[in-house]
Amino acid sequence: MQAAIEVEELGKTFRVRTRRQGRGGALRDLFATETREVDAIRGLTFRIDPGERVAFVGPNGAGKSTTIKVLSGILHPTAGDVRVLGLVPWRQRRQLGFRIGTVFGQRTQLWYHLPAGDTFDLLARIYDQDAAVHRRRRAHYVEAFGLGSLLDRPVRQLSLGERMRCELVASLLHEPEILFLDEPTIGLDVTAKAVIRDLIRDESRTTGRTLLFTSHDTGDMEHVCDRVIVIHRGQLLLDQSVEALRRGYIGRKRVTVKSEEERLDLELPGVRVVARAPHSTELDVDVARTSVADLVAAVLARVHPLDLSVEDPPMEEIVRAIYSHAEAQP
Amino acid sequence: MTATATEHRPGLPGGKYLAIAHIAARQAVEDRAAMVGRVLFQGLILLIFSRLWTVVIADGSLGSHSMRELLWYLAITEWVVLSPPLIHLEIEEDFRSGDVAYRLPRPVSYLGSRIAEGFGTMAVRGSALAVSGFVWASLLSGGLPPDPRGLVLVLPLGILAASLAVVCIAGVGLTALWLQDASPAYWIWQKANFLLGGLMIPLEFYPAWLASIAGKLPFAAMVHGPGHMAFGFAPDRALATAGALLAWGAVITLAVAATSRAGLRRLDVNGG
Repeated sequence: MQAAIEVEELGKTFRVRTRRQGRGGALRDLFATETREVDAIRGLTFRIDPGERVAFVGPNGAGKSTTIKVLSGILHPTAGDVRVLGLVPWRQRRQLGFRIGTVFGQRTQLWYHLPAGDTFDLLARIYDQDAAVHRRRRAHYVEAFGLGSLLDRPVRQLSLGERMRCELVASLLHEPEILFLDEPTIGLDVTAKAVIRDLIRDESRTTGRTLLFTSHDTGDMEHVCDRVIVIHRGQLLLDQSVEALRRGYIGRKRVTVKSEEERLDLELPGVRVVARAPHSTELDVDVARTSVADLVAAVLARVHPLDLSVEDPPMEEIVRAIYSHAEAQP
Repeated sequence: MTATATEHRPGLPGGKYLAIAHIAARQAVEDRAAMVGRVLFQGLILLIFSRLWTVVIADGSLGSHSMRELLWYLAITEWVVLSPPLIHLEIEEDFRSGDVAYRLPRPVSYLGSRIAEGFGTMAVRGSALAVSGFVWASLLSGGLPPDPRGLVLVLPLGILAASLAVVCIAGVGLTALWLQDASPAYWIWQKANFLLGGLMIPLEFYPAWLASIAGKLPFAAMVHGPGHMAFGFAPDRALATAGALLAWGAVITLAVAATSRAGLRRLDVNGG
């Protein structure tokens, strides 16, 4: 079976301008620039089979976006070999363009003053779609993504969640075999995040579309993906199933309780206080030992909560844990 | 449900770019604030110059040109330079923000799509500015130019000139690939139009040596060429200007395309 994505010993080095110190340095910078090389990716190797839903995660500056840009043909690698659907992305970008889709959470491909449907129709022209096929697909996605009532409104009047649903449809209309998603839930509220995650997961399950999903949000990868690749400083740190990662690193929640009482004391298995201030307590909870429901019940039995939030631990913390674990290995 | 080859139906060559120009034109119609801003700015410039010419030209003429002709000249040159959208800012932002990551994987030329958007927006803004310019100039100068037949020639020349300006502004935007900021190049472009194009003052009033140099450059063909039609019906001169615009158009389009290819080769998109 041909891999959807094959990456072997990928390396990407950027040349970054450095500035000399002082006025003399600034003057010299005008005539001769000094540069230094920064390794964004180093010796990265992985393979993704068709239909896999893979979370591609790491802290800021890990090299996630750079890798996706190499895979979509935008950047030329400095070293290594890459095949996406059997094509070399940077040499066959135009051919690859018909077979991949991209969604960047912080960017938009929708025309701001026009209804999203106009962008959909334009993309059909750009991707050389047969008009009848396009009409059928458009109707399908409009229904599946619940866009019916949004299609007549200019994009500028849509909420971020509504806009992201439109962005997804815009990227799916040419039926790409691989969808690259770069932080598609960034900035969304809890409800909108849940809707987007469900839509992405269900659509991929139904169509067998391959997903490569980058996010800082552990919830994204837990809800959408089956496998996770963690990179750190441009290198592969971990490649395993989300289930294994959940058992090892993400079976924890961060719970913050604000209470009328100045202090909250709890003694439950797997629960420890990580920060404390008057009327506020932050707890780290191992949900395998104490469930969130049990914890909330225990909190309600002891104090009168004014506010209570349950969050996933930050990605940086998970990567730190994985990294320290990897370093501790002989 | 993934795409099959039979569902791809390549359309007419250029059809994608026409579609892009069309949607950009529709967006320009909806973006009324930008349109109204330009129309008001156009009126303000013409108002200021109409007052200025009144003071400077005490006897009602400058050289062989009347105040009315000079104001119509300015209305035409302003129309040409205000019609093209500032696509250099969008191109700069594409590279600065990484938006180019969305555009490059598409099966369409990045530069071609940006220029097509520029043409679409220009079509709408240019139409609105043509009407408003006509009204402003008629009101402020007190009527039509002495030989209004020249205005018939302004339309094709102005469209050619503004189209060439869109390509030039795209080239200005591409300098951001090297400089990270397109504003220095845009500043030079603006001043070149102003000084070498004869935006405010016709080249006839320049020292002979400067007028001769300016006349050999594309700025004069773009700005002074259409503007000169305010001074009378001159089909031969209009034909020569159109020829110059087409020749410069070919040269500049090739240069901008080569710049784009070179720039995209060395592209290091922000992020990682």
